[in-house]
Amino acid sequence: MMTSTRAKTATTGDRNVSTPNPGSNRTEGRKDPWSQLLDKVGKQQDREAYRALFQHFAPQIKYYAMANGLAGQAEELVQEVFVSIWRRSCLYDWRKAAASTWIFTIARNQRIDMLRKMQRSRAEMTVDTEDLWQIPGDDENEPVTSLHRLMSERRIRDSLKHLPEEQITVIAKVYMENKSHQIVADELNIPLGTVKSRVRLALNKLKVILQDQNA
Amino acid sequence: MTQHHPDSHSLMEFSAGNLSDPHALCIRLHLDECPHCRSRVDTLDSLGAVLMDEQPGAGVADDAFDRLMSRIDAGTPEPQPKPAPRGNPLQRLLGEDLNLLPWKRQLADVSVLDISHLFPGQPEKVVLQKLAAGGKAPAHTHRGLETTIVLQGAFTDHKGVFNQWDFVVLDEHDEHRPVALEGDDCITLSVLSAPLKLTGTFTRLLNPFIR
Repeated sequence: MMTSTRAKTATTGDRNVSTPNPGSNRTEGRKDPWSQLLDKVGKQQDREAYRALFQHFAPQIKYYAMANGLAGQAEELVQEVFVSIWRRSCLYDWRKAAASTWIFTIARNQRIDMLRKMQRSRAEMTVDTEDLWQIPGDDENEPVTSLHRLMSERRIRDSLKHLPEEQITVIAKVYMENKSHQIVADELNIPLGTVKSRVRLALNKLKVILQDQNA
Repeated sequence: MTQHHPDSHSLMEFSAGNLSDPHALCIRLHLDECPHCRSRVDTLDSLGAVLMDEQPGAGVADDAFDRLMSRIDAGTPEPQPKPAPRGNPLQRLLGEDLNLLPWKRQLADVSVLDISHLFPGQPEKVVLQKLAAGGKAPAHTHRGLETTIVLQGAFTDHKGVFNQWDFVVLDEHDEHRPVALEGDDCITLSVLSAPLKLTGTFTRLLNPFIR
């Protein structure tokens, strides 16, 4: 349990924004190339843009499936994710999430759906996956939070470069192999507490932890 | 205004898609009312995207794109926004007014309703608990991990006041004696992780408020 005082402008004031960057970064940061392509798919059903997205993201999604023990269904997962991207692209709002973040959430949800279908008892679930795990932008009432969401991906990419390997290994196992902290601990043969502290240190640097946002 | 939030580990497991459905439901209900945690999850979703991008990648079948396009041409319906669903995911499962559910009274102030059957194939026990306005629950500890979100009203214990949409995780080290605030009955949703070494028949004997 965590009690916090609240920080309203937590990530907008982060230091990457004020770091002197080549001037183009600021405007390009608003809409990266993948988000531009996804926008075209949504607005014009642009097939060349769709193909370019496929070429970039399909291998990532296939790897993601394989890392998750879905090697036999990896091609199928790629297809399902991309059908979903096509269908939903009209809902995509680049101001609410970068394309890669949006695509990650779709891949994650399709993986959850696929696992549900494979476990018969869970297939009868009464709650839709997307009722629980939302895709950014689906909620029209959600206000556009402007730059800070878009900056977050670049900021994370930069911060990740400075994390020690042992921290990256742990969070990559959680995200890419969908392993619980306990299973990661067992696999790496380290105590659960060590896994938790590595995750904590990593999230701390990535500014996900509440207290750090107040600092 | 929520004061008690899920910790970053839970939000990360949520963003990674690793949580069971009942746990994800607790997080979702909190997120729907907490812009601050939503923003943390947005950041974590971006972390997922960056990590996915950092992986080596795996070559897809040569005809994968063509198959995809023929599937789309073969009649994937035109993209259409879905109508906005009503209420929160729990209300869609149980109806809008939780007070009208078939509560089972256990003590003068305490009623419970086991809704584990709504989550088939999942190991956790999922229960709604209702503490009458101003009512007291007996002092108790917890067996295993118990994740709770306040759905209506508020309760207080030695750790503070827990209002609507506040998020609490308790374990076997936490002993508390919750008291509901005056006004509304306090309704909570709790997910009890099945203790590792206990199975079926035993967990059924575990009562959420009194153990």
